[in-house]
Amino acid sequence: MKQYAITAAALMLAVALAPPAAQARPVSYEGGRTFIAEHDRSMSSVWAHYTPHHRYSIGYRGEWHRDDDHAFHGAQVTWLARRWFGEDYQANLYLSGAAGLAYGVDDNPAGTGPAGSLGVMADWETRRWFVSYMARGFSGETTGQSAMQAARLGVAPYIANYGALHTWLMVQVEHNPEAENPVGVTPLVRFFQGPLMAEAGWSVTDDRPFLQLQYRF
Amino acid sequence: MFIRKVSLALALSVMPALAVMPAATAQEITLSDSQITPDMRAALDEGGSLVVVDVLGAVCDFCALAMTRTFERRDEVAAATVDLDAKTLTFVVHEGRTLDDATITDLIRRAGYQANGITRPEAV
Repeated sequence: MKQYAITAAALMLAVALAPPAAQARPVSYEGGRTFIAEHDRSMSSVWAHYTPHHRYSIGYRGEWHRDDDHAFHGAQVTWLARRWFGEDYQANLYLSGAAGLAYGVDDNPAGTGPAGSLGVMADWETRRWFVSYMARGFSGETTGQSAMQAARLGVAPYIANYGALHTWLMVQVEHNPEAENPVGVTPLVRFFQGPLMAEAGWSVTDDRPFLQLQYRF
Repeated sequence: MFIRKVSLALALSVMPALAVMPAATAQEITLSDSQITPDMRAALDEGGSLVVVDVLGAVCDFCALAMTRTFERRDEVAAATVDLDAKTLTFVVHEGRTLDDATITDLIRRAGYQANGITRPEAV
């Protein structure tokens, strides 16, 4: 019982908030569904979310922490706490929380135990510029605790209308205190067309690929 | 690029009393091709009515997708599209059907965005 209390306290203290995949936003239009898969320098994750209300989404989230050799499966809620509108911009503040089970994989002998995460993400974007920041804390009774934060800056080299191929050039800087290289830099390119968004990059810090795919149904 | 003009022409000359009114009374709205899709043109030809909504916050394809899907799920709507350049959602309502401004504003909100003006030009 004490361990559960510690886990819960750790989650509450993980003021590091954040939506799972580095800069993914699963909140869609009411009735919309979103599928997201991401592979970054330290973790691979998959989510399938449904948006029952334009302010929040709910769904499954699975992640494989490759550096720490543990996996997580659980339910996640992402809440669009605030959206600011302008003729030429949009800004958002998201909070998210996930709860489920985590267990060790590969050489990690950790057994299955309750785990969860809390996160926050803020972004501001026009059709030319994109800026975002996210932070996230993860805690598992058997798998330990971790936190990370990331910021991203992007520019669209050309402006495309709805239905055309949108291209973004971005750079993401991540901070994982427990990582061998705590600060990582990942240049990436984003392609966006209709319901599909795909990102591909390379962590120049760890020499590892970055991939993300989002599809809106 | 071919430009389609949709005019709101209010005939003034038929009534002598109105003949003295300024020509500005006749409104004209110019819509680009990207604001009227072939499906929307077909729906207009079948007697549908056009609605143009100025939208705040529409900066990406996910935004546009959210609004078009939200409106095209409605029985009253024949077809819809978003023009990110013009910052508008345009859609055609089936002949004999209506969507009032409050409903349109609410649908935009449910898609995650904000309406900033609604006009109902009469296609000519």
